[in-house]
Amino acid sequence: MMIELKNVTKEFKVGTHDKITALKNVNIHIKKGEVVLLKGPSGSGKSTILSLIAALNKPTSGEVIVDGKRVSKMADNFTSLFRREHIGFIFQKFNLIPTLSAKENVIVPLIPSNPDQEKLNNRLRELFGQFSIKSKMNVIVKNLSGGEQQRVAIARALINNPRIIIADEPTANLDEKLSLEFIKIMRNLKNSNSSIVIASHDPLFFNLDFIDRQIDIHNGAII
Amino acid sequence: MKNKFNFLLLDFAISSIFRRGSKNIFIFFVFTLLIFLLSSVLFISNSIKSELDTTLNALPDITVQRLQAGRAINIPTSRINKLLAIDGVKAVIPRVWGYYYFANAGVNFSVVGIDKFDDQYKDLYAKLCDKFDFDKLQDKKSMIVGKGVQKILKSNFYNGYFNFIKPDGSLEKLTIAGVFSDDTKLESNDVILLPMEKARDIFGMSKNEAVDFVIKVPNPVEIPNIAKKIRLLYPDCRVITKEDLSISYQNIFDYKSGLFLALFIISAFTFFMIIYDKASGISSDEKKEIGILKAVGWTIDDVLKEKFYEAFVISFISFITALSLAIFYVYFLNAPLLKNIFIGYSSLKPEFDLPFAFDFQTFAIIFFLTVPIYIAATIIPSWKTASLNADEVMR
Amino acid sequence: MLLTPEIITILTLDFIFAFFGLIAFIISINIVRKWNLNSTTPTQYKLEKQSFLVATIIKYIFIIKLPLFLFFIFTADKLSDIITGAMCAAGVVSSVSFGTSMFVYKILNLYLFGFWLVLNHYDLKKENQPYTRYKFMLYVLGFFLLSIEIYYDISFFTSLDVSKLVSCCGTIFSAASSSSISFIFSINKIYFVYLFYISFTFVLLSYLFKNSIAIFVSNFIYIFIAIISLIMFFGTYIYQLPTHHCPFCLLQKNYYYIGYILYVALYAGTFYGISGAIMSKLEHKPQKFYYNISIIFDIIYALIVSAYPIVYFLRNGVWL
Ligand SMILES: Nc1ncnc2c1ncn2[C@@H]1O[C@H](COP(=O)(O)OP(=O)(O)O)[C@@H](O)[C@H]1O
Ligand SMILES: [Mg+2]
Repeated sequence: MMIELKNVTKEFKVGTHDKITALKNVNIHIKKGEVVLLKGPSGSGKSTILSLIAALNKPTSGEVIVDGKRVSKMADNFTSLFRREHIGFIFQKFNLIPTLSAKENVIVPLIPSNPDQEKLNNRLRELFGQFSIKSKMNVIVKNLSGGEQQRVAIARALINNPRIIIADEPTANLDEKLSLEFIKIMRNLKNSNSSIVIASHDPLFFNLDFIDRQIDIHNGAII
Repeated sequence: MKNKFNFLLLDFAISSIFRRGSKNIFIFFVFTLLIFLLSSVLFISNSIKSELDTTLNALPDITVQRLQAGRAINIPTSRINKLLAIDGVKAVIPRVWGYYYFANAGVNFSVVGIDKFDDQYKDLYAKLCDKFDFDKLQDKKSMIVGKGVQKILKSNFYNGYFNFIKPDGSLEKLTIAGVFSDDTKLESNDVILLPMEKARDIFGMSKNEAVDFVIKVPNPVEIPNIAKKIRLLYPDCRVITKEDLSISYQNIFDYKSGLFLALFIISAFTFFMIIYDKASGISSDEKKEIGILKAVGWTIDDVLKEKFYEAFVISFISFITALSLAIFYVYFLNAPLLKNIFIGYSSLKPEFDLPFAFDFQTFAIIFFLTVPIYIAATIIPSWKTASLNADEVMR
Repeated sequence: MLLTPEIITILTLDFIFAFFGLIAFIISINIVRKWNLNSTTPTQYKLEKQSFLVATIIKYIFIIKLPLFLFFIFTADKLSDIITGAMCAAGVVSSVSFGTSMFVYKILNLYLFGFWLVLNHYDLKKENQPYTRYKFMLYVLGFFLLSIEIYYDISFFTSLDVSKLVSCCGTIFSAASSSSISFIFSINKIYFVYLFYISFTFVLLSYLFKNSIAIFVSNFIYIFIAIISLIMFFGTYIYQLPTHHCPFCLLQKNYYYIGYILYVALYAGTFYGISGAIMSKLEHKPQKFYYNISIIFDIIYALIVSAYPIVYFLRNGVWL
């Protein structure tokens, strides 16, 4: 799926008068199946770009076009549907619901579409097997370790077979061993024909073989 | 119809209720209490109503009173023959009855005079006539009393007899020859049955007078016509038909339960505010959770639906719980406290069992007066929650 | 004024409807005036969110209104016990001068609010939300109709008088009555049978050809013909009395509450037919799902009413 950011500017209101310009005239073009790394120091605007692609946020000006659709102009409920169908988002802080079990967390994105129970169970087994957390399926998420939590988060991001996978600082809360593990998972996903966008300032990601392109962000602009 | 029911969402809603346990338990209790109060009041009033219906059915077809200056006065028994001559009238029964104020206990007894040879205007009295020998009663100067009367007398140290004070100040001592109980307990609890002559003595009435007449008309269609004729014949009489009475009873009754419902509306409004307030208080955890849901693809509609399922589950459980409690409270415990407020006549009255009377209509009223109010109270808070921004998750 | 629990229930719900309906009305006015899907102003985002509040409120009102309407008839029926002369809801309703129009408004609102939800459903299916402005205009109208209905409810219950003598259905639904429909009682019953089956055939044919205009018209006519023929012909077989024409008595227990089933089937059938037809026109594509539900309920209605005279004939060997 093709992703295009055209002349995107994003400002955040701070208080009543001030505003922060998080992005300035950003143009990005990501091809179908491409794996892209957004890198840049903390506060440079990486997360903001990701949230605009996933239509979690709307640009102040400019356009975000995904697969020919102008997601930047979609109404709230359609952005939700768009995410449900196309986006798998791995958040920096995992964003799991801490009081639900691993399995319950993973099916959350599919609940509104009322999937077939049998198909759902097969998909769950597949995912939990793939990330070797099968034994943790019914454990309440807050009792899981950081690495396990992240795998649950990845499983949740992949449950809808997304065409666009987005990961925000995926290794920020992991030690080196687990970080390498994550990279391995991403490498395996590359073959799935989905576009992958990773935002990170972790040097572990720099110059990896499966990453097609690196985009440097600084102070809300591409350099 | 288009989609099968979404059990996953229901599942999620139920787990959501438990995960925010303390808030929902509070709502559950308040809501259950509200439904419980409403259904208890309605159950009690239904029961009393069905008691009243039994009473009303036993009412005389036509009652004739004589008025003077707008007040009922005694009616001469000499009029009986003329009334009997009207076509369709089967019997005219003179009645001697009234209230006797028993100052020591501060209560009124209903004193009813019975004449063995007259037709009895109530099945109950006819039965009693057969059971107790009234000729003997007359000789021995005794009476038959309702259970409630017996109890009151006992507590005032009258064991087996009572001294009536006649209008001239002299005493009339009557012994209790029997105690009766009956299924229309509401009505006959405070009754004292005496021979007609004794009743006249106690009230100071002359021999050829009665308090009123009761007229039996076998064909109910004839009743209005006969009533009209009596009015023409005796313009000084008030003629009351069974139907008149039953309408006015019905009215008083609906009015009474109406008042209770008015009070209920006030508590329902309070309830509305409590729920609104509770539902509006979104914790930061909950905010975050909604953000997550929307970020992974839930629409506003999906969140609203989930909130509705929550509200539905809570109301359903509250409804069932409250209804079972109310049935237990009213029909098994006989509604202590509430019943007394509701009946509130003389202190003699409370001694009766509430007969089971439950219909679809009551169920519908209880439902419509509670669940929609609860759901309404959650509309705006749910919508506010559902329209939180998805970028909540990025913070 | 009577203060029975039933009346208090209906008035309380009316109050809630009025309150939330007003909120939805104010938002609707704003949306009709300011809606612009292409704009990225905060106002537009706010309106987008508020449009869901309106939809939720309308859904709420509609879902409660459906059973409440049945409850209303039930209550009117029960009041006939207290009100002198009335034997069923017909007498109670006709005891006020606006009884008939009150009923018409109640039924009209059920169709209108239901259709609003259908329109809303279609509107939210497409990203360009093609019907937004129309659906909110429609609600502005709906709110006026709702207000009239609530006004009628209040006047109805406050003007009920237990001592006033009202007519029973026997006189209302007869040639002798002075009501506007009395003239039809002088027409031979058999014409209403023809009329009903012609109208039903029209419904069937329009379904077979999936022509939206025909479906709209046939279902619309079906509502009226079904009710008139029920009063004139089929009802008499339900009561097994050639002179009993009341459309309300069949809601009573004596007739196994068959009226509720009949009216629900008639409403569902015609509602889905009419809504489906309108949506087919708007979408330029036949809405088969709606048509299918419509025809099922239309047929159910026809089957039930037809069964009564047929069974009567089989049992007694003669027509009424
Ligand atoms: N919701 C917000 N409100 C205000 N300022 C924000 C918000 N989100 C991001 N910012 C600001 O925008 C800039 C870019 O942030 P972000 O995209 O999170 O950077 P990165 O992910 O590269 O660390 C930062 O200065 C940050 O403070
Ligand atoms: Mg970031």
